[in-house]
Amino acid sequence: MKFADVQIGSAIGPEEIFISKDQTRAYAHANHLPAPRFTDDEGAKKEGLPGMILPGNMSLALLAKLVTDWIAANPAKMIRLGTTYRIPVQPDRTLILQGFITNTYPETKQCEIDIWIEDEEAQRLVTGTATVEFSQ
Amino acid sequence: MVDYDPAIINKVFETTDPVPVSREKIAKFCETISETNPIFTDDEAAKNGPYGGVIAPPGFATTFRNGRHFFQHIPRYGKQGFDAGKDVEFVAPIRPGDEITLSSSVKEIYDKTGRSGTMVFVVIRTTLSNQKGEVVAHVDHRFMSRT
Repeated sequence: MKFADVQIGSAIGPEEIFISKDQTRAYAHANHLPAPRFTDDEGAKKEGLPGMILPGNMSLALLAKLVTDWIAANPAKMIRLGTTYRIPVQPDRTLILQGFITNTYPETKQCEIDIWIEDEEAQRLVTGTATVEFSQ
Repeated sequence: MVDYDPAIINKVFETTDPVPVSREKIAKFCETISETNPIFTDDEAAKNGPYGGVIAPPGFATTFRNGRHFFQHIPRYGKQGFDAGKDVEFVAPIRPGDEITLSSSVKEIYDKTGRSGTMVFVVIRTTLSNQKGEVVAHVDHRFMSRT
């Protein structure tokens, strides 16, 4: 895929991904995030949450993965990613990562993509935008 | 309009010691987010890829710990604040063997009034540089509190 192949409105994903509590704990421990909300259901409930949640940076990393999976081996790179955390993301459930191309900029060979994480009830939990730059 | 001292804007308030990036650390990160792209996971395959070797996935840029006094420097408004999101600008790849230094400053302070009242946003910019002094990423962290 080259920049000329990128069309406004084209879908990115969807990708289904199951993130376990163990993966969430491993992420939290590896990244020095000891807060109970990331490691333990009971601790999270004491903070008023429904149970363990993913760290915001982990959600950002999943959205980044959606974009780099789309780029794959193509001559392009992600140059910017912004995220907004709307609803806490809980582990041990299937998350759906997806997006679509909203703008293309031929002069810089860049495109903008709206991306989000939703749950199985189609609630958008984390939203964001990414910018990808093509070299060809 | 939110009240603050304009002199704090863009003034670096903290710089960390260099943090080494090991191949193992990248592998662990990939495992936790189910990352399987060979550019990030397979040394042999990545040698023939666009970066000549394994690099860290983009999300890795947000895993570095800020300095010990980071939170003391974030202006406070209201009682409760939370992480409202991040904007990351990826400038150069992070590679195994890199040593990353973080420098943080207040980029912006603004407020927004909606149906639920006034919210104040403090944007902290953390710039990540490698051992050669090259900037690899800018991470803008938005903290939100209700007044």
